[in-house]
Amino acid sequence: MRRTHRPHLLARPALVVVAAAVVLAASGCAKSEDDVSDSDKSSSAAEAGQKVVTPKPGSKSCTIEAYGGRKLDLKKGATVGFSQSEKEANPFRIAETKSLKDEASRRGVKLLTANAQSQFSKQISDVQDLLAKGVDLLVIAPLNSDGWDPALKAAAAKKVPVITIDRKINATACKDYVSFIASDFVEQGRRAADQMIKATGGKGEVAILLGSAGNNVTTERTKGFKEAIAKKAPGLKVVFQQTGDFTREKGQQVTEQLIQSKPGIKGIYAENDEMGLGAVAALKGAGKKAGDIKIVTVDGTRSAVQGVVDGWISGVIESNPRFGPLAFQTLDTFTKGEKVPQDIIIQDSAYTPDNAQQDLGKAY
Amino acid sequence: MSAPAEVLAVRGLSKSFPGVRALDDVDLTLRPGEVHALIGENGAGKSTLIKLLTGVHRPDAGEITFQGRKVSFGTPLEAQKASISTIYQEVNLIPLLSVARNLFLGREPRNRLGLLDFARMHREAAETLRTYGVRVDVRQPLRTLGVGAQQMVALARAVATDARIVIMDEPTSSLEPREVETLFSVIRRLRDDGIAVVYVSHRLDELYAVCDTVTVLRDGRRVHHGPLAGLDRLALVSTMLGRELGEVRTEGVTKFAGDHRIADSQPVLDAEGLTVPHKLHGVSVRIRPGEVVGLGGLLGSGRTETAKAISGALPVRSGNVTVAGVPLRGGSTAAAIRAGISLLPEDRKSEGIVPGLSVRENIALAALPRLSRFGLVSEARLDRIVDTFVKRLRIKASSPHQKVGELSGGNQQKVLLARWLAMTPKVLLLDEPTRGIDVGAKAEVQKLVDELAADGLGVLLISSDLEELIEGSDRVVVLKDGAVVGELTGDDVTEDELMRTIAGDVPAPDVAKGVTTDG
Amino acid sequence: MAEATLHTAPLDKARLLQWLQTYGVYAGVALLLVVNTVITPHFLSAENFRTQAVQVAPVIIVALGMALVIGTEGVDLSVGAVMALAASVTALYLGYGLLPALLVVALFAAGAGLANGALVALVGVQPIVATLALMVGGRGLALVLLPQLKDLHNPGLASLGSGDIAGIPYLILIAAALALLIAFVVRRTTFGRRLLAIGDSRPAAQLAGLPVRRVLIVVYVLSALLAAVAGVLATARLQASDPTSLGNLMELSAITAVVVGGTPLSGGRVNIGGTVAGAVLIQLLTATLIKHDLPPSWTQIAQAIVIVCAVYAARGRGKR
Repeated sequence: MRRTHRPHLLARPALVVVAAAVVLAASGCAKSEDDVSDSDKSSSAAEAGQKVVTPKPGSKSCTIEAYGGRKLDLKKGATVGFSQSEKEANPFRIAETKSLKDEASRRGVKLLTANAQSQFSKQISDVQDLLAKGVDLLVIAPLNSDGWDPALKAAAAKKVPVITIDRKINATACKDYVSFIASDFVEQGRRAADQMIKATGGKGEVAILLGSAGNNVTTERTKGFKEAIAKKAPGLKVVFQQTGDFTREKGQQVTEQLIQSKPGIKGIYAENDEMGLGAVAALKGAGKKAGDIKIVTVDGTRSAVQGVVDGWISGVIESNPRFGPLAFQTLDTFTKGEKVPQDIIIQDSAYTPDNAQQDLGKAY
Repeated sequence: MSAPAEVLAVRGLSKSFPGVRALDDVDLTLRPGEVHALIGENGAGKSTLIKLLTGVHRPDAGEITFQGRKVSFGTPLEAQKASISTIYQEVNLIPLLSVARNLFLGREPRNRLGLLDFARMHREAAETLRTYGVRVDVRQPLRTLGVGAQQMVALARAVATDARIVIMDEPTSSLEPREVETLFSVIRRLRDDGIAVVYVSHRLDELYAVCDTVTVLRDGRRVHHGPLAGLDRLALVSTMLGRELGEVRTEGVTKFAGDHRIADSQPVLDAEGLTVPHKLHGVSVRIRPGEVVGLGGLLGSGRTETAKAISGALPVRSGNVTVAGVPLRGGSTAAAIRAGISLLPEDRKSEGIVPGLSVRENIALAALPRLSRFGLVSEARLDRIVDTFVKRLRIKASSPHQKVGELSGGNQQKVLLARWLAMTPKVLLLDEPTRGIDVGAKAEVQKLVDELAADGLGVLLISSDLEELIEGSDRVVVLKDGAVVGELTGDDVTEDELMRTIAGDVPAPDVAKGVTTDG
Repeated sequence: MAEATLHTAPLDKARLLQWLQTYGVYAGVALLLVVNTVITPHFLSAENFRTQAVQVAPVIIVALGMALVIGTEGVDLSVGAVMALAASVTALYLGYGLLPALLVVALFAAGAGLANGALVALVGVQPIVATLALMVGGRGLALVLLPQLKDLHNPGLASLGSGDIAGIPYLILIAAALALLIAFVVRRTTFGRRLLAIGDSRPAAQLAGLPVRRVLIVVYVLSALLAAVAGVLATARLQASDPTSLGNLMELSAITAVVVGGTPLSGGRVNIGGTVAGAVLIQLLTATLIKHDLPPSWTQIAQAIVIVCAVYAARGRGKR
């Protein structure tokens, strides 16, 4: 034990070298199943995203005078900073970052990006870094809703307009930030309910695979779904709701329990695609056939849309991650001195058996 | 001296645990200023009695009167508040706190702001401890002190808390003679201050040195009580053991028979110039087959370290160990064990036994490889070995599957001896083999050491029990501050000579010569 | 001292606690089976038992390794990360075929176990700290190797996940075989005895000449290998490699199974039967609450209660 200190100290740099070597060695000679087929994925998806804006009726708007910034022309050498919250490890984040990068290069705007790797303190310092690097405009995908005071003050001090995407910040719009662009999760729930009603004929028992507990996406997607069911199809009963933690594995496990204890279940509403795909795996494992139990999911990832094509999933409500065009358009309008809405809702599309095949390329 | 009122009177105390009547109708009275010896073999009920007095257990029957009032302590804290302090065999202070904090725990001096007054605490702690012969930096964590010094801190703390009764449970088991003297002077001071002391010890010398009265327990009953002065030592032992006087006398005080037949061949163990930084400085020990070599010296003189260095448990900076002419390489315990060296460690409970495993597993532990084929244990061969040694060493356990942690100290020690004998060693290093075990087991262990030497083993014996060391050893190598300072051979193997060598009264002998000269 | 004759339990309460610690977990499983038979529709079906067994199999496999580590008075927090690593390495190398991929997974797992074991046995880092490093780093590495979920279509892997022999899924057979193997290792091999001795008293084991370092390293390697097996099986069942979420909180499930099964955290004892039963108990408990559609927070509360009971029962034995 007495000799332990030295190797311990030496271990750190050595460890880094070893870790790097492991990664290189592992990925260098790796050969996964379908390396070839991967490339075609991104090509068609690129331009599919940007859809219509539906300004909420009666929602407030914001102008550069009210906000207190200075006008500039986006096309003439402006620099935009983008602070991403989580690392691009899931389809949503990958598509989101890609969309901003693509739109920036399309418009010829210089884009600086930073990724907080799910650490909130890092995101704050990321924003401060971007400001220090002299960005003129900021797009933030916040990890948390709270705790943004220092970052927003720093932006205000430099008179840099801020737009947040996909998650709202608890601050005053048109004062601390300009606008908020996102999907309406409650609406997604309602539309999922519509799909469910259509698939089941509005009668029978259905189950909900909830997302992670305590997450606003979970609560809102549940709320919209249940509201719409209660209003439009009283024959449809939600008899089971258990969390699948937004993961495929938990979705599979919970569904396995579900179909045994409630063999008569007609439909499953999964609050994201991954849990829905888990449910599909469970049904396959139990020897069910495609369409025996109707599954409706939310997100619009490629695997889920493929599930619609294959008949295992009855409908996928899109949660659009492609904020690029809308964010830049908003910034452009705003910096020209025109009005922009404070809350901007992205239009989400849907994938059903009718359009899944031809829209498969649009899925992310 | 007029007899003052009793400070403590115990009447008809009984306590049973399932299957065992631990204490049966025991009386005990203590007067202020009385030093009362409480003795008995292991299992006699001493610990139970102490636990009842200090509120660890509640009695089934009987009453305790303390300072004229009937009391019933529910917790050790209540007993402590009532001014009954206890010093246990194992120090129960907080190792990571400083010496001073430990000394003042719960009654720290505070300054005007109500904050701890560290300056005063450190000053007073240093002063207090000096009167106990402990000179240390009181700001150091307690655990940096030796066990003896820690024990003195515990004592100082117990005495300082206005105790009316101080119970000492084998307080000297880890003290060196000088510290024992200090302890005795403290006890005498307590006596003069009118504090009653209950003194539990296995060492008869100590009892006669410091105690006034004695209570002897056997099998949960009081079998003798009265003044100690005038009570014959052998009579006391025979009362404890419940054996006839003549029988004990013929067996002597220890079970050692005396001289061994020592083969005049090459040494079975030759340790040369063992050096461990800060601990050993060129210690050499040589043992011939059939010889019992004692290792004498005070606590901290390097006896345990010498044994550990030989057995590979303590890495040496320089020095060689040769077993039966073959140099030992590797410096690991495993290599030493393969070469035929077995160490019975001083700290039986934490370094010797594996308490949660059975008697059977403990005996077989070191010998597992030779009881296995392809990594699979042969249960039949294991059973045979275990059976042999349980019988030979008369290990008392309900079954070979009983956990070793549940056995008495003596039987635990026998299990350890069995573990090593199963390895058919050439050299046995015995570090305090009889510490804290009852008289009967002690005698058996001593007799066994004789037998093993007669079988041609080389034995290194470490014991702070001088009688045991002198009577058991053919030669005694004396250590002081990690170096050999002398060697007693032949008729010089006496307590007097040993003490004088340790004290340095004799002109320092030529060390090299002392080691190489045959006894 | 010997007066406190501990082998005869001093109180009836203590005896009850001891009984609870040894057999409580089996009683719990039996109770849940009876209760479910009465109150849960469609409970008594082969299909249901198969589902529960298939779901619990990976937990059991991980818990077996965890039991060994805990037997040495250690803990392995990296098992979940090793599962994720196994999942991503499987996906990465499946192009060479199933067997080569599994070999590479075994190499990675052994490497992870070696790293843990070396830190604990050679460097002397506390197990909880040593394995925490790999718990964080291992998942990180898994995500670097495979940044996002990937669907797998290898037929061999698919049949590993969903195939069966005489109606008994491979997963269950593998878990049962491993449980028997580990129980045999603990009971009958020198390695097993040494492991227990080291866990009970490391200094004593050292002085008795046992190869303490080697045993510790092997234990951590075994734990990592078992976790990798669980990772591959879970991946096979899902037919997708999901290093982001696979094995999340698995270390806690495994520790819970081990502790509820009556293996003390203080080391020196390994109860394999209890560990399996502990995992089954938690699985049945979760299944019961899910089947009756009770809020997920109830599951957590129920698990907490079971753990508290287990720890309370263990208390009686903890004092020697």
